[in-house]
Amino acid sequence: MTDAVPDRLKIRYPKLEHFQQPNVITTTADFIFSWARSHSVFPFTYGLACCAIEMLSSGFARFDVARYGMEVFRPTPRQCDLMIVAGTVNEKMAPVLKLLYDQMAEPKWVISMGACATSGGPFYDGYNVVNGVDKIVPVDVYIPGCPPRPEALFQGLLELQGKIQQHKFVAESPAGSAAGEA
Amino acid sequence: MALEIGTNPMGMDAVAAHLVAAFAGLQDVRVQEPDTVVARCDKGVLHELAQGLKDDVEVGYETLNFIAGVDHVKHFESVYHVYSWKTNTYLELHVEVPRGKAELATVTDVWPAADWHEREAWDMVGIRYLGHPDLRRILLKDDFVGHPLRKDYVDLIENHPHV
Repeated sequence: MTDAVPDRLKIRYPKLEHFQQPNVITTTADFIFSWARSHSVFPFTYGLACCAIEMLSSGFARFDVARYGMEVFRPTPRQCDLMIVAGTVNEKMAPVLKLLYDQMAEPKWVISMGACATSGGPFYDGYNVVNGVDKIVPVDVYIPGCPPRPEALFQGLLELQGKIQQHKFVAESPAGSAAGEA
Repeated sequence: MALEIGTNPMGMDAVAAHLVAAFAGLQDVRVQEPDTVVARCDKGVLHELAQGLKDDVEVGYETLNFIAGVDHVKHFESVYHVYSWKTNTYLELHVEVPRGKAELATVTDVWPAADWHEREAWDMVGIRYLGHPDLRRILLKDDFVGHPLRKDYVDLIENHPHV
């Protein structure tokens, strides 16, 4: 079964039994920080329509998003890393969504959940509908579905974890100007 | 009121006959079973009629359920759905509004619940309720251009700044 998991989603955990006596881990700063980041994502409660029901369902015991370390839904953008845009974004909501995105602290990610947030969905021709949240904020992962099941949301979250782990946040300094020498 | 739910001590025909007798402004009064009287009135007498319907001793339409704005292409229509707790019946009052001059007296001073419903009808269909205390858009953004539920509304690029 593990063969079905793409390499970028495989997480190389140190196992607990490796630490039966005082020990030392050697790894890269990129790995350890992105490992921590990808497993402590705080999602922002941004439910706009029926996708929010699936998002809430993901949070409770039956599906249990806590298995991925992402259960800490926060109602304020200041404490969040991830904005899950779950539902139809209309023109009146658009400036509010942009403001809340700008208030989130870096690093931050956006998941577009469902057909509406991705493209306007069934309301594509609506007089008051934004045809995709990517017109307003940059989107990292798109989840198709109308609405997506919680499993689909988890797939999207795992894709996002993979994306976070690929992120090289330690700046590669130009030769001769490394930090500390300047 | 200790009326059992759904019971009507007067009977639908008696309610309709009472309305015809008491209110000269009501036209085309007819019964729509099981519990609704449908009628029409001119826009000039609407406000006076609304106050009378609310204060009526025998029927007394005390509750405004909702106001619908309708575009019939040749004219608009403002439809008032009101409810009588004395008889457990509804009244559906249709008021024709000319398309060129879509103005109508407000009923917010009769039924305070009319406030947001009139704002919505203004927002979506563009019927202007004269005398309304705060006639702003309620659902769409303030700088929206046009009234989207009009049949001749075309989607404007001004209303989609994020495309």
